[in-house]
Amino acid sequence: MLQTIANAFSVPEIRRKLAFTAAILLLYRLGAYIPAPGVNIDAVESIEENFTGSNILGFLNLFSGGSLQRLSLFALGIMPYITASIILQLLTVVVPSLERLQKEGEVGQQKITQYTRYLTVGLSFAQALGYVFLFQSFQDQAGQSVVGDLTFGKVFLIVISLTAGTTLLMWMGELITQRGIGNGISLMIFASIASSIPGGISAWWNNQDQVFVVMMPFIALAVIVGIVFVQEGQRRIPVQYAKRVVGRRMTTGGSTYLPLRVNMAGVIPVIFAASIMAFPPTIGQLLGGADENFWTDFANFFNPNGWAYVVGEVFFIIIFTYFYTAVTFNPVDQADNLKKYGGFIPGVRPGRPTAEYLDRILSRLTFPGALYLGAVAALPTILISQTSANFYFGGTSILIVVGVALDTVKQLEAQLMMRNYEGFLK
Amino acid sequence: MSLAQRLKNRARRFLERPGTVVSLRRYEELLPRIEALEPELQELTDEELTQRAGEAEGLVEICAVGREAARRALGERPYDVQLLGALAMLDGHVAEMATGEGKTLTATIAAYGHVRLGHGPVHVITVNDYLARRDADWMRPVYTMLGLTVGSVTEINTREERVEAYACDVTYVSINEAGFDFLRDQLVTDIADRVQRPLGTAIVDEADSILIDEAKVPMVLAGAITTELDPVHAADAVVRGLVAHRDYEISEDGRTISLTNRGLKTVEAKLGGINLYDEKHLADLAAVNVALYAHYLLQRDVDYIVRNGTVELVDEMRGRVAQRRRWPDGLHAAVEAKEGLSPSAEGEVLGTITVQAYIGLYKTLCGMTATAVHVGDQLREYYKLEVAVIPPNTPCIRVDEPTRIYATRAERDEAMVALIKECHEKGRPVLVGTLDVKASEELAAQLAEAGVPCTVLNAKNDAEEAAIIAEAGTYGAVTVSTQMAGRGVDIRLGGSDQRDWERVAELGGLLVIGAGMHESRRVDDQLRGRAGRQGDPGGSVFFVSLEDELIVRHAGNEIPPSPNMTPDGLVEDERVDWAVAHAQRVAEGINYEIHRNTWRYSLVIEQQRKALAERRERVLTTNVTAEMLAEYFPEKCEQMDPELLTRVSRAIALYHIDRLWAEHLAMLSEVREGVHLRSLARVDPLDEFHRTAVPAFNALIPEIERRTVETFESISVDEDWQPEQAKLIRPSATWTYLVHDAPFGSEMDRLFSAATRGFRKRR
Repeated sequence: MLQTIANAFSVPEIRRKLAFTAAILLLYRLGAYIPAPGVNIDAVESIEENFTGSNILGFLNLFSGGSLQRLSLFALGIMPYITASIILQLLTVVVPSLERLQKEGEVGQQKITQYTRYLTVGLSFAQALGYVFLFQSFQDQAGQSVVGDLTFGKVFLIVISLTAGTTLLMWMGELITQRGIGNGISLMIFASIASSIPGGISAWWNNQDQVFVVMMPFIALAVIVGIVFVQEGQRRIPVQYAKRVVGRRMTTGGSTYLPLRVNMAGVIPVIFAASIMAFPPTIGQLLGGADENFWTDFANFFNPNGWAYVVGEVFFIIIFTYFYTAVTFNPVDQADNLKKYGGFIPGVRPGRPTAEYLDRILSRLTFPGALYLGAVAALPTILISQTSANFYFGGTSILIVVGVALDTVKQLEAQLMMRNYEGFLK
Repeated sequence: MSLAQRLKNRARRFLERPGTVVSLRRYEELLPRIEALEPELQELTDEELTQRAGEAEGLVEICAVGREAARRALGERPYDVQLLGALAMLDGHVAEMATGEGKTLTATIAAYGHVRLGHGPVHVITVNDYLARRDADWMRPVYTMLGLTVGSVTEINTREERVEAYACDVTYVSINEAGFDFLRDQLVTDIADRVQRPLGTAIVDEADSILIDEAKVPMVLAGAITTELDPVHAADAVVRGLVAHRDYEISEDGRTISLTNRGLKTVEAKLGGINLYDEKHLADLAAVNVALYAHYLLQRDVDYIVRNGTVELVDEMRGRVAQRRRWPDGLHAAVEAKEGLSPSAEGEVLGTITVQAYIGLYKTLCGMTATAVHVGDQLREYYKLEVAVIPPNTPCIRVDEPTRIYATRAERDEAMVALIKECHEKGRPVLVGTLDVKASEELAAQLAEAGVPCTVLNAKNDAEEAAIIAEAGTYGAVTVSTQMAGRGVDIRLGGSDQRDWERVAELGGLLVIGAGMHESRRVDDQLRGRAGRQGDPGGSVFFVSLEDELIVRHAGNEIPPSPNMTPDGLVEDERVDWAVAHAQRVAEGINYEIHRNTWRYSLVIEQQRKALAERRERVLTTNVTAEMLAEYFPEKCEQMDPELLTRVSRAIALYHIDRLWAEHLAMLSEVREGVHLRSLARVDPLDEFHRTAVPAFNALIPEIERRTVETFESISVDEDWQPEQAKLIRPSATWTYLVHDAPFGSEMDRLFSAATRGFRKRR
């Protein structure tokens, strides 16, 4: 991997692409520190506690790289775009005219992308409006609101700025995908999460618990190695195609296979589970207010460091892993597809036997996969409670960071391969 | 022009929409200066003009000399718009010029210009042999007057004739011949065997057809190999008599076929109760699959014709027989078995190049066509070409009637025959474009029944093409043709000598009838373009039935159950109009996707081909192999005459380079076939393809060296050593074929297609 990165710098075209990607990401981080017009910067400093922990705001703040709590230009982050694309993908299933558009191929797809962009702007507008009123309720010790007194002009100004910010991000993300390396949207989320690493390191260094300070690097390393290991793990089911009748020996030697990953579902179940588990504390806080009552107890019970939260999270992760795997990989469809294109698994008959075979392997893989995801998500919480360290070490974050990093390096590697003929042509 | 129209044009130009980027103003400014040179040139004798042509410099003089030469040689003075087209082509653009505007002459001036500008040799790339020969012969007087030599290459030319034609300043050649000559040149063992010179300029005629439609099909050069096994003929008997739906299923898009469980049991029983899916029966399974494909997906007189005891493929884009073209991977043998013909030799891929990569080898590129703007985006993406829209000399007054849609094919045919009969009785000439050979013959039979005599032009009688087309505009003529008549042919009203021009023009000129829509609107537009040339009157109308394959395949679900109809079956329903247009858009989208896929996967192969070609060139022209062998075997080499050593070492090394490249290509095509499965692991199949292709290629050079050394070690050499003595046998015959890809959805596609199904079930 390090070799790949070193090689990358020796190819001018790839060096340019990397520099381009880095420049865009830098702009993205820079924008995270530019406050939106009309925001009381002094007051922003004092509202931080609203964004820690695992409630919805903390979650969104993490994905926007701290932009949200600062109410900066990029406060909405790239999330509206992700939401818009999910909505449109789902709509293509329900709305016949969209489904037809999709069928028309490239041109139709371009139209759908265009709709996604419009929807992103709309969603951003609505979300920005919500934030303005939410932030008005956040006040510093002096009773100053973060956005001060609201006038129509001011609301309009902030909303327009935030919407423009997200629109700009959307464009920047597409630029990375087109002209840089990797997927722009993933890399932006990656950058947001990675931006909290320096803070985490300083928190670790200043920790009072000596055992924790010494052990932490080893634990982190072990967790990352474990994630990479399982993330890359796959079962390769050999496939043969019987479409050619030529007196030619099989040359590929097993390069045609159906790869089933241990973690078929990726990071999505973790994100879904975290979003769901963020609701109870948020509701508790909202309904509870300042006094102690049932709702504050409720919020505390589901606090991210408690056992109830961990159990709930793992439970939902397992549910979602099964659900997502079942939706994305349908053994019957796969068996049909293989048959349609003349492929088969040696020794297994086509149609139902193949589907059953695939199903059996899949269920053997999904259970450990789900447990693994649950463990990665829960481990930090358990560690924190064991070491009584006040340190946020999100499993979700590590999964995303490692996943995006792996994908990007792989893409880099493939691009490098294409350009490695210079040495050959000596 | 209205204000709204002007604003719209302004916006289109700002968005760099195809056809708006090239401004003609620059060329128009040159026209007066070109015209100013005319009196001076007209006073020259022919010899003086030829001499002047050899000295002409600058665009103005080139165009003026070109125009004068055309005036003298052909008796027609090129119009201003033709010069605009030539100027756009000299600038490296695609000129969009309507049918009948004189593209052939325009290309001649552009070809002359490119030679004068030092971009030679110039190849004028045509869609077929007929046009290559016709245009070269037709324009020869102009070229002679300009002091240039011109030649044409067609299928039937021998190697010597090809060498001669390619040695000319300007060569007219079909894209296939040019590409295959290039591929064959890549495999020569003696540099003197090459037919092409280094490539200079390509002027692409019918640019959209060649650069976009053809580009999705890679050109493949195959050589004969001997196989002991012939499981195909055995399988043929086994799949005969299977019944659709019960024994086999054909996918909705009509591209794939598979056995049902019941069909599988029947086939296995006929084969002697074996389990076809056992690894040791792989060859039988493949043979069964191929036989199924040959029997139930390929149709005689649609996909191929049988002539002189051989199976001849019909080129789907052009409607004519594709010579020396075969299906790959045993499919050809299966079709021969189906038709009861004796099998011809099997083939192995020796070299491959896509149209796009081949065209990319030219240093200068430009083109012309009547329908470029529709594919402007793709021309820009794949070839960095811009479209220059050249206005017509005389405005087109052709009347394009709205498409007539009928519920059933029978009703459609009945209405079509009635219209043809009506026109014929009045004397108005009709050209009917059908989708395939079979349809053209069926329609001819129906017309005969109705008492309308007609001339049929299809892949079976393509030799008479020129004569049939020349008379298609005659008073009262009815011509039924496949797509052959779709491009490049010029139909004159009133017959080839235009004797009845006025009588035919009064009746409305030529009427073009499309019997069914093609997969792309451009092809339909090309067919319409046969009528209304150079401001002639003319008309066009398409007859579509809801049972047409295009509609059933791509818009089967979109047709409302009971559309509004007139009693004779004419459908008048907006939803149906929409669905019909939608079906064509879906087909266009699929073809676009196939083109893109071919291109993306061929990139790495093309890179490797180039790298290996450079290496091969060194082996062919220098002494590298002899030097390498001298290091390994100093004694053996010293005993040999240096010239003999060069000859032997070169022959051995070239054999192994070509052999290993063929094996490498075979390996890649196998990887390509299954690589889409990798998307299940959330990786890009294309990246995975590279991950396999690149290391395999890197291992090739040491392997070539190893095998060369091994062979040299094992042979004893004397003066009249021949490669065959060392079993270095090269394939004897070569032919060409086309390859299709099967696209596969991404993870998201699968996610949502699964969700859709769930949704539908609940609904």
